[in-house]
Amino acid sequence: MSTIDREATGPEDLQKLHDDLSEVWGNPKGLKALTIVNHTTLGLRFMVTGMAFFLIGGILAMLIRTQIATPDQNFMTPEIYSQVTTMHGTVMMFLFAIPILEGLAIYMIPKMIGARDLVCPRLTALGYWCYLFGGIILSFSMVLEMAPDSGWFMYTPLSSSEYSPGLGSDFWLLGITFVEISALSAGVELVVSILRTRTQGMALHKMPLFAWYILAMALMIVVGFPPLILGSILLELERAVGMPFFDIAGGGDPVLWQHLFWLFGHPEVYIIFLPAAGIVATIIPVFAGRPIVGYGWVVFAITVMGFISFGLWVHHMFTVGIPQLAQAFFSAASMLVAIPTGIQIFAWLATLWLGKPKMKLPMLWIIGFLVIFVCGGLTGVMLALVPFNWQVHDTHFVVAHMHYVLVGGMLFPLMAGIYYWLPLFSGRMPSETIGKWGFWLVFIGFNVTFLIMHWTGLLGMPRRVYTYDTGFGWDIFNLISSIGGFVMSAGFAMVLIDIALHFRYGKPAKTNPWNADTLEWANQLPPSPYNFVSLPPIETRHPLWEHPELPREMQEGRHGLATASHGRRELWGTDPLTGKVREIIHVPSNSWWPLFAAMALAVVCISLLLRWYPVAGVGVVIAIGFLLRWSWENGAHPKAAPDAKVMPGDPPLHSRTMDGPGLWAMTTAMIANGSFFLSYLFGWFYLWTVSPEWRMPDASPLSLVALVVAGIALLGGSALMESSVRRLRKQLDKGLAMRLYGAALLGGLQFVLILWVMWNANLAVTETSHDAILMVGLYYALLHSALGAVISLLQGMRVGYRYVGAHAPFEPVVVAYFWRYNVVVFWILIAALAVLPRVIGG
Amino acid sequence: MKAMVQRLHLTHPGHFVGGLILWSIWFIAIYGGLSVACAVMPPDPGQGAFTHINITLLVGSLITALLLAGLAWGCFQEARQHKGRKHFNAFVSAWLYVFSTLAVAFVAAPMVGLPPCL
Amino acid sequence: MRERYLYHVASPCIQRVALRRVNRLILLLTMLVLAGCAGDRSILDPAGQAARDVALVWWVMLTFFTVVFIGVIALWLYAFKRKHHEHTAAQERKIARRWIIGGGILLPVFSVSALLMFGIPAGKRMLPLPLSEPPEVIEVIGHQWWWEVRYPGAAGGEVVTSNQLIMPAGEPVDFHVTSADVIHAFWIPRLGGKVDMLPGRVNVIRLEADEPGIFDAQCAEFCGTQHAHMDLYVEAVGREEFEAWLADRQGERLAELAVANDEFSQARETFVSTCAACHSVAGLSTATIGPDLSDIGARPMLGGGVLPMEEGAIQYWLENHQTLKPSNKMPSINYMDTATLESLGAWLETLTP
Repeated sequence: MSTIDREATGPEDLQKLHDDLSEVWGNPKGLKALTIVNHTTLGLRFMVTGMAFFLIGGILAMLIRTQIATPDQNFMTPEIYSQVTTMHGTVMMFLFAIPILEGLAIYMIPKMIGARDLVCPRLTALGYWCYLFGGIILSFSMVLEMAPDSGWFMYTPLSSSEYSPGLGSDFWLLGITFVEISALSAGVELVVSILRTRTQGMALHKMPLFAWYILAMALMIVVGFPPLILGSILLELERAVGMPFFDIAGGGDPVLWQHLFWLFGHPEVYIIFLPAAGIVATIIPVFAGRPIVGYGWVVFAITVMGFISFGLWVHHMFTVGIPQLAQAFFSAASMLVAIPTGIQIFAWLATLWLGKPKMKLPMLWIIGFLVIFVCGGLTGVMLALVPFNWQVHDTHFVVAHMHYVLVGGMLFPLMAGIYYWLPLFSGRMPSETIGKWGFWLVFIGFNVTFLIMHWTGLLGMPRRVYTYDTGFGWDIFNLISSIGGFVMSAGFAMVLIDIALHFRYGKPAKTNPWNADTLEWANQLPPSPYNFVSLPPIETRHPLWEHPELPREMQEGRHGLATASHGRRELWGTDPLTGKVREIIHVPSNSWWPLFAAMALAVVCISLLLRWYPVAGVGVVIAIGFLLRWSWENGAHPKAAPDAKVMPGDPPLHSRTMDGPGLWAMTTAMIANGSFFLSYLFGWFYLWTVSPEWRMPDASPLSLVALVVAGIALLGGSALMESSVRRLRKQLDKGLAMRLYGAALLGGLQFVLILWVMWNANLAVTETSHDAILMVGLYYALLHSALGAVISLLQGMRVGYRYVGAHAPFEPVVVAYFWRYNVVVFWILIAALAVLPRVIGG
Repeated sequence: MKAMVQRLHLTHPGHFVGGLILWSIWFIAIYGGLSVACAVMPPDPGQGAFTHINITLLVGSLITALLLAGLAWGCFQEARQHKGRKHFNAFVSAWLYVFSTLAVAFVAAPMVGLPPCL
Repeated sequence: MRERYLYHVASPCIQRVALRRVNRLILLLTMLVLAGCAGDRSILDPAGQAARDVALVWWVMLTFFTVVFIGVIALWLYAFKRKHHEHTAAQERKIARRWIIGGGILLPVFSVSALLMFGIPAGKRMLPLPLSEPPEVIEVIGHQWWWEVRYPGAAGGEVVTSNQLIMPAGEPVDFHVTSADVIHAFWIPRLGGKVDMLPGRVNVIRLEADEPGIFDAQCAEFCGTQHAHMDLYVEAVGREEFEAWLADRQGERLAELAVANDEFSQARETFVSTCAACHSVAGLSTATIGPDLSDIGARPMLGGGVLPMEEGAIQYWLENHQTLKPSNKMPSINYMDTATLESLGAWLETLTP
């Protein structure tokens, strides 16, 4: 196999290799820069945009601190104050914290695992545009003074149309859902990239810890975001159409919203913390000059956090009136998180203990992280204790705790990471002096603001009050908090100036300036769009420590995939467990489709906001058109990989195999879809069993016969897809197109039958939550049947163009997976919606 | 027994998530079960903690904990027989099963003392 | 007849704060020590068993966690300072295991187990378990942005009032709380924890005040624009006084009071023609959109904590309520002339059972 060292190449050949790679991977300039799909560029765009939203969120925070600096202030009206607090939380959580960390992961992961790009580059671009447009739409609401004002967790009924009649809640629900498309796309492709595109030999247990952290974060995004997307859709349907999911009188329940929100909201805290901890776990060994202690323990801790954090959501709801025994389950589970946290803190301590730690600027931020995060973690354990929680819930104590955890657990490591990777971004070193000033101002300002705020909370100050009377002993502490807040802002201003100046005045960095162990430092500084001229085989967790010549060898093209004359963007497809090379993954190059699709979705978002439903409908059709067109340029399409020639000894192209990354992406996407579906089922059973005014009709309005026939049609379609795949495995593609068309036809039949069931059920969707939630389930099935039919139809057409067939068998496998998912979900849906009510009754 | 343990492929990193997935299912089952039981047939509050609900939940938790403990034991056995990647996988899985076992015990403990539906 | 309370000034802590203004330095230093009693809403100044349990839990946790916190930070900083020793791989593994198992597993397991053993029984004591003698039940209903308080168990028939909660001291009281619109939260910090007030549901919380006294409360769940002005005046009184207070508010007594004074017949007419669409005064109207006003003159504050009740306060409220509490649900009645509002206010002030 050609992956082992090649002969050293002569200088002219090397120059040609660089030119070829630049030609294939290079970023276009001018207007065409909008088509860029490269992870380095998009990662930077994510981070810069995230920083811009951080500034907006920070200004909002300063407005809040000005308003409550002293009692009885009239700086802002109560309406504006509510908008400002709501938007501060929303911007910081959804438009800053998650996207900037995703951006960092998008930028860093391929470089760390020895790949040239993420595995679905167009998805990266779509994610970025959705984030940008969603963020702009959401922020624009502030310009209109129409921003959401029901608090960043949008509790209904306060956020419902009756108590929030303006557009504020709609901005939130639609904008956030739009932004979440971005998070989900990043989640899916990070999972697949980490599992399938690590360089040769990088077995799972040799992966850098950062990749473990990002893998956990990405999987958590995939599972954790869908509940909120469902909740947002339901609430928007309630507001726009009047379907009473959360309205008591209609048989709904406002507590359902809280469950759906916190099912997302608690994991989200860890989605933010894990990548930040990944930064810590990357930096500490470098500055301690030794490998991390307890690699296995840290992997253990990451896994535990990834799961346990889904079992904690009710601890945000301890005062809702849930039985105390159930609260005790969540209380105990919340406290369990102390164990993986403790393991990480002490693994890092042991690394410093056994190493020779150096106190450089990034380490200063790490120490800041430690002090603040440990404090926040300890108050977190306090809050997990139910009786104490009942007292301090919704007071400034919680506000203080939350900022300790989020700023300590996310912002400080992020700053450490930014300083640490600055040479990579710019090729220059940060300054130690201004940087230190900035750190101390932020650190002192932060603690002055928030340490004292615990006390304000204990003195009984509730959160989100726009004014307070003098005489409760809160005045002086609020004033101190506000002063601290402004000190902190000054600190951040200094940090930003430092970073801006360093691009011009920083000392040029030498290769691997911090003497790090991971592959991202084998890049040129700053990196080329293709990252590495050749992809190295890896034998240890610390390639650059044990093989310091590696960067030079890679640059000289002495390792794998050192060719680009074929015009494809290539990276390794490796075995997820062992890191053995299995195929060559060719990824698409620059494309307009992600931008166009995102623009169409933005039109949908805005027209839903303005209640121009016909326009929204047209927008949806156009967006789907763009996405399908995008999927057309795959496989053996002239824009992808029309010929399948590879270097002698190299493995085949992924589109010529049956197990390419698309399959993994489909599986991951279906995990997200499954999480959405389970959230829906949870909603259905929750309303059925718990909602106080739930009304179940005596006879189910759904025709069981029609649904079962639809289910059989679906099974038939799926069987056709499976048999196509089986035959492709045997290199047979005779009649492939007919099978695919047949499946599409059966999918169409299922679609028509579901439509008929919907029509015949006569659901009064605005009258009862029962009918409303049934309708949502039917729509879910309807959309899936349509999607299955359409993508099978397109595959049939692609067979005609010879883009798919025995020579390129990959895509039908992916489509067959979707059908499998559809079968399982649809039959569960029949059982839950049509059979169970008949068996149990209301 | 040995054949069964082999079929589980305890050196596969899938077992990193095995214990915690079982823990999650158990967690959903006890929380969902408790909520439904309290909605359908709440016991008399005067009965304290010794109700059919608590006892059913405790028995379910005990079975789950035993299952997890067994898997942990199996992983430790496997870890001892291998080196390198497989040892790493089995060893981390083993501790994750241990954690899951303890997590079941820890979360289930309040069932002994608290009345179910108040 | 009860005396009017001058809101907030009743607290001796406030006077102390005022004195301390003299010396800012001492103020800063002593604040931390005295802050526990500085307000009426401090959870560290408990006046009931539940709140006392939690305050104790807090101090224990604070002490213990401060030790943990300083210990962890000190270890990290020491790791930077200490002289580097070379270890063999086996020694390194041993040291690492000691840190990870000791600090990462045993320390948190021990801490959280201790906490739960302390915390779960404390929570259990707060449960509204059946008592041999059923406790007094008080219903509290949250509205945007005021409190409706009902006494279904009053001898002689249910008593209704607003924005004030009088409860018997020295005995457990079950509060049945719910909401008429959005989610609010019922919280008397010095007596115990809070519980949400949800539309369509009734939550029960049991609290007990050790001694008679005044305890503030404020809505604790963000409930919209005027969340900040949703205060509840809470006072615990002896059993007899409590019974007398309820007896004073029986329907017929209040109805008599409303029409007792002939000089206000004009004001009553204004009330019936305008205010009665939303407000009730026993004997005159039964609307339930706004707060019941039958005993408004005896309440210590107005507008959910916006104004203390003094002579002329109601008139001031009627003239300026949209400035004092912007966006509150009461339409502005500035179109009425001053004399009308003055007599309306004066009449309402006489509704003092």
